[in-house]
Amino acid sequence: MEVFVNASSMIPIDRYYEYDIYDLVVEAYKNLEGEFDIDTKNINLIVVANAYSQRMNNISLIAPKIAERIGMPNIPTLRVENADASGASALFTAVSMIKSGIAKSVLVIGVEKQSDYPSKYLNEALSSTLNEYEYYNGVTPHSLAALLMRQYMKKYNVDKEYFANWAIKMHQNATENPFAYLKFSVDLNTVINSQIISDPLRLFDIGARADGASILLLSNKKDDNSAKIEKIAVTQAKYDFSPSLPSIRLLRNQLEIKRDSVALDIHDSYSIIAAMMLEELGIFEAGKSLYSLGDLPINLSGGLKARGYPGGASAIYQVAEAHMQILGKFKGKKANVDNYLVVSSDDLGMISYGFKLSR
Amino acid sequence: MKVSPPQVWRNKKIMYKLTASKCEVCGYISFPYSHYCTRCGSKNVKKVELSGKGTLLSFTVSYQARDGYEKGLPNIIGLIKLDEGIEIVAPIVDADLEKLKEGMKVEATLRRVYTDSYNGLIQYGLKFRVAEE
Repeated sequence: MEVFVNASSMIPIDRYYEYDIYDLVVEAYKNLEGEFDIDTKNINLIVVANAYSQRMNNISLIAPKIAERIGMPNIPTLRVENADASGASALFTAVSMIKSGIAKSVLVIGVEKQSDYPSKYLNEALSSTLNEYEYYNGVTPHSLAALLMRQYMKKYNVDKEYFANWAIKMHQNATENPFAYLKFSVDLNTVINSQIISDPLRLFDIGARADGASILLLSNKKDDNSAKIEKIAVTQAKYDFSPSLPSIRLLRNQLEIKRDSVALDIHDSYSIIAAMMLEELGIFEAGKSLYSLGDLPINLSGGLKARGYPGGASAIYQVAEAHMQILGKFKGKKANVDNYLVVSSDDLGMISYGFKLSR
Repeated sequence: MKVSPPQVWRNKKIMYKLTASKCEVCGYISFPYSHYCTRCGSKNVKKVELSGKGTLLSFTVSYQARDGYEKGLPNIIGLIKLDEGIEIVAPIVDADLEKLKEGMKVEATLRRVYTDSYNGLIQYGLKFRVAEE
């Protein structure tokens, strides 16, 4: 059974103080209806990707409530939560539903609202992904990323300027993307002198979390707006401080990556994670990836760093952008390729997904 | 921040004793304790109490607040290789940042972790300090 992305939409990542979490979805759905002819009678299932609504928005049973707000109160729903990998897990679920014959057409909605409280409350929610010892001792994912970064710096003898290359490239890409959160370019001085979060990790080494909603319509029928989901790979293995991301290395074994003919979008939650992903995928040599970015089409939206980091909706944004790129409808920097590879994971790359899309 | 006495009670083996599991098949030590080996999946594990002694491999100074943990900022978070061979991430206390160096010997020490001042409850836990010579 083949599965296609037949429609996609999103809203700009931002801090939407005037919108609640449902309003974000409604705005994304209006954009979907505005761009594509959506026949709601054929939709069998709605899968919602959301990581933190219980902690950050005091909402449970979010999926059926969202269905009501977009005028589909009787279509069955489910919510998928795998922290920041929720979007990828939701997409995996939706594709599996179609391949199994349970559904023919599935609406996949990614939504996250992270800006309603001061950052210490968001940090608390994000830290719930850690093990019990780390969580109760006040550790944050930022500190774990900082330790990975320090280990990498020692192993490959690189400095903070090396990591700045990622932020500079992402912000440059974001200047052309009308859906990006941080649409401004940055120079080396701005990046390496930005606020220290957990040394050596600085503000510009971290994906910019804010609010977002993005929608995909999947179907077993191809139409004029289709991109085919050629392949999905999923792996799970915890990072280690050697440092390495074994889940990404395992993905590499399942995905045949042809560097010259594919555009790539990775889950750049931190500049260190971006570097490690590019190396574990075999795109670049270990310890040199962020010196090697060049003109390779990577994260043309601006990535989590500058397009913005919508938590559990991240992979839905990534795949929506890939769909738009393949159709030639993406409003930012264009890839001009027929094949797209999206790699998505949680914050620190424990569960990872690869999605190959083609025209 | 709320403190749940049942949760504190259940977590005592992690927070007060560093209880881990050692796999009888592959030898891997899982911390916190797990009934199944977190590397090979074997259920043939035995409970071990870690010594709380180890070596500081690396550390970071964190300026990021979490709800309930604001008072300790900035705090030092260390990557520690315990003498049993596993690596854990834990807070480092009583340290003079100027003198703290990678490779130093560290040891576990019981400290206050956070307080539920409304209900008068306190969570304690094992953090790490530079070991006395």
